[in-house]
Amino acid sequence: MEPGAHTAVMEAHWGGGAAPFGASWQKTMMWIFIVTDALLFSGLLCGYAFLRQASPLPWPNRPEVFSIPFIALMTFILITSSMTMGTAVTAARLGDMKKALTNVVFTIVGGLCFLACQAYEWTHLIREGARLTGPVAGSELIEKGVTGQFTQAFFLLTGFHGSHVFSGLVILIITAIRTSMGKTPAQGVEMAGLYWHFVDLVWVFIFTLFYLL
Amino acid sequence: MSDAAHGGNPYRVYLITWAILLVITVAMLGAELFHLPRIFLILFLVVFMMVKASMIAGNFMHLRFERRNLSWMVGAGILVTSLILYTFITPESLHVRNASQQPVKESGTAPHPGAGIQE
Repeated sequence: MEPGAHTAVMEAHWGGGAAPFGASWQKTMMWIFIVTDALLFSGLLCGYAFLRQASPLPWPNRPEVFSIPFIALMTFILITSSMTMGTAVTAARLGDMKKALTNVVFTIVGGLCFLACQAYEWTHLIREGARLTGPVAGSELIEKGVTGQFTQAFFLLTGFHGSHVFSGLVILIITAIRTSMGKTPAQGVEMAGLYWHFVDLVWVFIFTLFYLL
Repeated sequence: MSDAAHGGNPYRVYLITWAILLVITVAMLGAELFHLPRIFLILFLVVFMMVKASMIAGNFMHLRFERRNLSWMVGAGILVTSLILYTFITPESLHVRNASQQPVKESGTAPHPGAGIQE
């Protein structure tokens, strides 16, 4: 490659100017927000790694504590809702607002199902004796090797993720209402979509690192 | 975006990504059945976790179609920071584990860490 062409390529990818990332300011700010939010989860996951590595007792066997097929169902719901959200974003971009609205509504239904599953999982575990500070004395969770470190990691990771799903749902419901009134521009759907996919992305990490590993 | 430009079905990319994500998830769930050595299982799960994350970021979040410096800021920014954080906490966590195991071994009367809390 000639030196001039190289400079041109560098300029195209890294040049500043009014739009240094080649995106609208809304999208740039959304991405910066996503990076900061991802760092929050990175900190939480590293905190979980610390608790697990520092734990003097062996980490509980997850299939004994959770129903892994149920967690797989939650993953399926979230991935599917991400697919419908992607479809909604593209439909909005192509000007098909009716299709966009239908798919945003599908995504909302998926998000509600996920939250319901999480509420069920939490209720089930709390009834078994799990608390943020550890399993209550005499509960059968202790026989399964559940420790305070384990319940802390579980409630914090899934709690923070669940709260993100909840706020994502609020954003999606507002987007759906405004879309039905013809007030949401295509970019509005795209921003809501970015956040929703991010929630799905975080679940990929929690699902692998907490439930499977 | 690019599919629409090429005259194909613009929604196909989402269906294909969705199907691949599901297949990978099933493979990850089934990995345990093969009784791989622990290190290979960890490697398998982490690699496919990263593949899934890249597919979501690339295809669902359209990072593939953004300017390269945006993808770098997002991908490298998050990964490098997380790796630095993890690298620094690992020796400390092992130190805590070794320190907490010492008194239990010596006295034998220390409360069991998994003994549970009183309600």
